Amino acid sequence: MAHPSIPSAAPQPVAPDPPRRSSRRRLIRRETLVGWSFILPNFAGFALLTLVPVLMAFALAFMRWDSYGSPEWLGLDNFRRLVSDETFHMALFNTVYYAAGHIPLTLLASLGLAIALNRKIPGLGIFRTAAFFPYITSLVAVAVVWNMLFNPSLGPVNQFLEAIGIAEPPGWTASTAWAMPAVIITSVWRDMGYYMVLYLAGLQTIPQEYYEAARVDGANAWQRFWHVTLPGLRPITFFVVVILTIQSFKVFDLIFVMTEGGPGRSTLVLSQLIYQEGISQGRFGYSSAVALALFFLVFIITVVQFRLNKRGES
Amino acid sequence: MPRRLVSSLGTTAVLSLVLAACGGDGDADSATGDGGDGTLTVSVWNLEGTPEFQALFDAFEEAHPDITVEPVDILADDYEEKLTAMLAGGDQTDVITIKNVMEYGEYANRGQLLDITDVVESADTSDLAGLEAFDVDGSYFAMPYRQDFWVIYYNKTLFDEAGIDYPDTITWDEYVDIAEQLTEGEDEDKVYGTYHHTWRSVTQAISAAQTGGDLLGGDYSFFADQYEVAVGLQESGAAMDFGTANAQQASYQTMFETGATAMLPMGTWYIAAILAAEERGDTDVDWGIAPMAQRPDTDEVISFGSPTAFAVNENAANADAAKEFVEFAASAEGAKAIAEIGVVPALQTSEITETYFSLDGMPDDELSKKAFEPDVVELEMPVSERTADIDEILNQEHELIMVGDKSIEDGLSTMSERVRTEVRD
Repeated sequence: MAHPSIPSAAPQPVAPDPPRRSSRRRLIRRETLVGWSFILPNFAGFALLTLVPVLMAFALAFMRWDSYGSPEWLGLDNFRRLVSDETFHMALFNTVYYAAGHIPLTLLASLGLAIALNRKIPGLGIFRTAAFFPYITSLVAVAVVWNMLFNPSLGPVNQFLEAIGIAEPPGWTASTAWAMPAVIITSVWRDMGYYMVLYLAGLQTIPQEYYEAARVDGANAWQRFWHVTLPGLRPITFFVVVILTIQSFKVFDLIFVMTEGGPGRSTLVLSQLIYQEGISQGRFGYSSAVALALFFLVFIITVVQFRLNKRGES
Repeated sequence: MPRRLVSSLGTTAVLSLVLAACGGDGDADSATGDGGDGTLTVSVWNLEGTPEFQALFDAFEEAHPDITVEPVDILADDYEEKLTAMLAGGDQTDVITIKNVMEYGEYANRGQLLDITDVVESADTSDLAGLEAFDVDGSYFAMPYRQDFWVIYYNKTLFDEAGIDYPDTITWDEYVDIAEQLTEGEDEDKVYGTYHHTWRSVTQAISAAQTGGDLLGGDYSFFADQYEVAVGLQESGAAMDFGTANAQQASYQTMFETGATAMLPMGTWYIAAILAAEERGDTDVDWGIAPMAQRPDTDEVISFGSPTAFAVNENAANADAAKEFVEFAASAEGAKAIAEIGVVPALQTSEITETYFSLDGMPDDELSKKAFEPDVVELEMPVSERTADIDEILNQEHELIMVGDKSIEDGLSTMSERVRTEVRD
């Protein structure tokens, strides 16, 4: 989007004499230092508490360390174990399963909500607030309440399903097959309000003229949505997909409170495995190896998304 | 000038942050470890909600007027993690409360606890239950003061209404029969014959204790009978099914105190809680305790439980006073102090039992007293480096059997297989 015709805004000094140049340099240096001092508190915290541990995790993935004594170099042993570890395979599958459910469903639900609430209807504010509410509700409360809703025998969800004639409703969190869908439904419900707000903002940026022009050309509602709204939302959709992907792959809290990875290992995801191996069992080396695997998984997927987006743009 | 000021400010800020980061551990040590002159620091969890600590401290201070006990209160859920970090950082807290035996093994093996074999050997430990759990190759690094074990709580009113005898040393078959007879009602008003909490120990630890099976062994076919009981009960509706209990995060206290279940196998720690609930007026359930149900081939009462102990920190600031405290807590005086508030001491004598049953609100029938003195109390989970890993697998497969995802036979064979192949030394 560069406009070559517009000249650069920075004025070039015509003939700077030596003393002015040195005072200018001093000014720049001073401003740099002031700038550094502004970001220092934040950056120092980030460096000490985030950057160093992240770098350490990379190194620890090649070692055995129980947080006491000195780490022992293992080379690729942790990764060899990863390849043959059935629990890791399950956690990897479950993580991908969760992402495959959570990303598209949240995307659809939030887009649908945004379009439904992007018009002048009475009580608009109330509806928008209601849709956003789940996102600001305490996650533990969300998990506990949905657990009760999904109660296989007394829960309202199954009572409703029975009332509409489904004789054997799913066991939800008490069944290995349905626990993950239950978790996905809960997380979609929780997250859709947040992404709806992003989409609402995106919808405002599409110029009304496009719709008017489309109408003049005789486009029906579906065609207007497909050829005007969706392309107009491209940047937002890209952003939402990237954030949703990262969020899905690092999911932990909701599942931990709702099912603790159970029944059995049916909802065990990678982040919980990292927690379990590292914090609970004290195997920080192996735990870091799992974390590294998760990191590369998310990294590769995000890079692919950026590539696809770039291709789509051009 | 201002430039220099800014740059020196920046340098100072960086330096102070680095120093703060390095100095963190040292500061924490001196803050908690200032013992030496008559002050004894003791690590505890949830001091407010665990009255046994204050009871012990008061009794100890009365017996040793020159020593003041200073509790180091730690959030109960984070107790193990926090303690691990404290000990690794060279903290000087004198007495370390050992909340569970699994952690004890780790601390002792790392040399973080003082060898107190001399204290244990000089004391009379013939009636001290749970001591053998702290034996590390003939040495002791902790001494138990509290020993909980499992009994059956029952609701006398519900038994009387149904005209059924109280469960006096019954077999598991009789237990299932009684539970089925006592079940009545539908949905929210349903009264269950019994309630098995979702913990794996309810089935697995009982089974291991009564069959002599090895919980770390990698062959779990000995669980089968006990799983038949547990799965059978939930299939017949005489016990709340596992999925429902899990989904609504059922509380065993509520189940029993509201009369929603007639029986409840549970640890003796619940006695203090139920007495407290009675005192607050939260429940008026007429209850008693009975010995744990048994396999038909025995005439002994076999249950399981876990001891709680005190240990002395290797880095204790006041090691002598700490040893004195550990010994006091395991003595008759210490036992009496905690028995008076409804906590089951490790020291089991008839005198202590008497103190215990003279508490307000405590049932005083013969059956309850009988339940209080089981013949054998096995350790809930043996200690080994593999315990934590095995625990994880046993838990996961327990869930799968209980939600009906796997048959008992399949579940137990996967359980055995996984423990044999997945657990590393």
